[in-house]
Amino acid sequence: MTKLPLTGVRVADFCWVGAGSYMTKLLADSGAEVIKIESSARLDAVRLTPPFKDGIRGVDRSGYFADRNTSKRSVTINMKTSDGQALARRLISQSDVVANNFTPRVMKKFGLSYEEVREFNPGIVYVAMSMQGTVGPDRDYLGFGQTIAALVGFHHLTGVPNRPPVGTGTNYPDHVPNPTHAAFATIAALRHRRRTGRGQYIDMAQTEPTVGLLGASILDYTVNGRDSEAIGNGHRRFAPQGVYQCAGDDEWIAISVTDDRQWPAFTQVLDLPEAQWPRQCETEAGRHHNRERLDAVIATAVAGRDASALATELLERGVPAGRVASAADVMSDPQLVARGHWVRLDHPEMGKTAYNGTPFALSRTPARLSRAPMLGEHTREVCREYLDLDDREIDRLTADGVLV
Amino acid sequence: MSYMIPMSSMMGERRAPGALEGVRVIDLAGAAGNYCGKMFAELGADVILVEPKQGSELRHMPPFVDGEPEQSLPFFANNTSKRSIVLDIETEAARGVLRKLLKTAALLIESERPGRLVELGLGYEDLQRVNPALVVTSITPFGQTGPYAAYPASDLTCQALGGFMSLSGYADGPPVQPGGDQAYAAGNMFAAVASLLAVTHAELTGKGQHVDVSIQECVAMALENAVQFYDLEGTVRRRWGGQQKTTAYGVFECADGYVFLQAAGFGETRHWQNLLAWLKHEEIEGVDRLEGPAWEDRDYFNTDEAKQTLASVVTPFFRSRGKQDLYHEAQRWRVPFAPVNSPREVVESPQLKARDFWAETPGLGRDRVKVPGAPYKLSDTPWSLAGPAPELGADTAEILHELGVSSDEVAELTRQGLA
Repeated sequence: MTKLPLTGVRVADFCWVGAGSYMTKLLADSGAEVIKIESSARLDAVRLTPPFKDGIRGVDRSGYFADRNTSKRSVTINMKTSDGQALARRLISQSDVVANNFTPRVMKKFGLSYEEVREFNPGIVYVAMSMQGTVGPDRDYLGFGQTIAALVGFHHLTGVPNRPPVGTGTNYPDHVPNPTHAAFATIAALRHRRRTGRGQYIDMAQTEPTVGLLGASILDYTVNGRDSEAIGNGHRRFAPQGVYQCAGDDEWIAISVTDDRQWPAFTQVLDLPEAQWPRQCETEAGRHHNRERLDAVIATAVAGRDASALATELLERGVPAGRVASAADVMSDPQLVARGHWVRLDHPEMGKTAYNGTPFALSRTPARLSRAPMLGEHTREVCREYLDLDDREIDRLTADGVLV
Repeated sequence: MSYMIPMSSMMGERRAPGALEGVRVIDLAGAAGNYCGKMFAELGADVILVEPKQGSELRHMPPFVDGEPEQSLPFFANNTSKRSIVLDIETEAARGVLRKLLKTAALLIESERPGRLVELGLGYEDLQRVNPALVVTSITPFGQTGPYAAYPASDLTCQALGGFMSLSGYADGPPVQPGGDQAYAAGNMFAAVASLLAVTHAELTGKGQHVDVSIQECVAMALENAVQFYDLEGTVRRRWGGQQKTTAYGVFECADGYVFLQAAGFGETRHWQNLLAWLKHEEIEGVDRLEGPAWEDRDYFNTDEAKQTLASVVTPFFRSRGKQDLYHEAQRWRVPFAPVNSPREVVESPQLKARDFWAETPGLGRDRVKVPGAPYKLSDTPWSLAGPAPELGADTAEILHELGVSSDEVAELTRQGLA
């Protein structure tokens, strides 16, 4: 088999919940050997978060956990015990990367702060991705993706004017901005290590990449003194642009007319007679000026139409459109299916279930996904392979509540 | 590198080498790829933006600097630390220069419609002959293959077709796009990871490859557990904005805006107990209504009765206090809680100031422009802002000179209007 880009990189993965676990999953799918250190004494909360296979709760039944932890091995080490901490140190001494997303004090409590780890593994790339970073007055504050989105302006910028801000309805920063940025920084640090032998500390506050994505709104304030508000489904230039209700229960179509050439096709597909829109709508500026009036006309024109069929008709005529796909719709979306985006992996307890594939295809070294590990599934083999423990010692440490 | 314009923080300080020092990136992309290039640039890569004569599409995207029309803020935000060369790739002469440039590069980032670069003789197969180690990353709405590959799209329609928008919006109203062009943002970020993986492989083996990124697929990664909910439990997750998703999980009004409370929802009751302790300490009227056997039942948290009870207890309290004040108080009690901040409040955040987050660069006709700083702090190879987004073609002559294009050739290219 072709070596993947990160083949040979070993990661001691202390991450849990969302962003951290997802970051190390990106590394694992691309060849890194990721050993997830968890414990039944302090479960990764996502193992207890729905959905569960057949709706039945269980630490090895969460589809959320499975999707975010592919291609890893799981060892259970109770980090509250000094024996557990010693084992973790031995594992780290043979690793290239340590990753965690705790508040800064937790790794210190384990005796595994960067300063401590560097002493026995100077080449380590140590990634810490707490919510607010290692320094600053709020460094020990806690939160999840939704609170981060609120804190950094993202929630405020999503919604309809004069209604409460709406956010994404998900813990968005955990799923895209943070894991991707952390993975990028880690792979970059591994390059530096390859070239110089030097490891380093990466302090990532989960708030900060998300602020970076809102650069234009930040600049609108720092340059223009204007504090941006949410703009609904509109656009600062394109018009018409919006989400309009179609026939059926909660069926919507998203449409953007992004240049003047699309306008005639758009009016034909929607059967909008010229009498309904002012002549100046032939230009983008004119349409933008009349956008509210256009929105009302379009809402009426599409009200009885089938969202998918209408979107296809518009797309075939070169006008950007798409139904607002639900989670069920995306699973049967012809494009996502044709791209093989959804992969079904077989799991001893869950059977075959749906996972996201990687959203990028590398022609020479495509990612390889294997199913998520069961809690402690690899404790024994990792203990034998890296910690030089024999079965008797493993049994004893299990009985003593260390390897649990 | 001589082109780097000193920034305020660099008074007398030299820029430490970045982790991606020595990597040259050719950025032929628009909104779907410029942030990807920026991520490379600010870890030390030499990123060259290749633009047509009229400038990149993003240069014409509002909001603009007031009073200086066509100074685009989205363009500036996504193109700091790069150089700019004008090359009209419609012409063979310019394509020849581009090929020369690609010989010296590790990565090309592009976001043309699938097939267009092949038509121009710049497809991956062609470029592999120019430079076998070159990685070509293509970022497009739907990817290079599949029934939608040729369809047009916008950020909004990608968010819709990727399913993300179905989770965002009001329970009693339309789906709403997450702000700030998040479909393109997702494409950029995953493309950066994928590109660096491929560059890693090329550095180890000498072999480049083609990286095909579908924005729709990247958006689907943002669906959280919604697909698994449908797959495993047969339920379709819906949007719930403007109200609580489950008790103590949602947005609430306060004296000067809104706050977000997230004291439930992750399989734990610890934060709920912390919330109760806080409310009791504040002697909030009716807090006893949040206690009793019903509240030990997880399913009860999902009922309207539970949500309304919680809202009736906390709303008068939250409305009497400001968001920053509530934030710090709630966190003292270990309650996951945050103010719904506007950009102004983000810029004024004491935490971000204490972390020295903001960076400054000259640009946009000003001595100092404050921009978001390091998204990660690398101790040995720090992130660094190498300068403002370039003026159109500002570095054309310099780059041509570096490539060894003679002055006569440059003059000829210029005369032909190609550069």
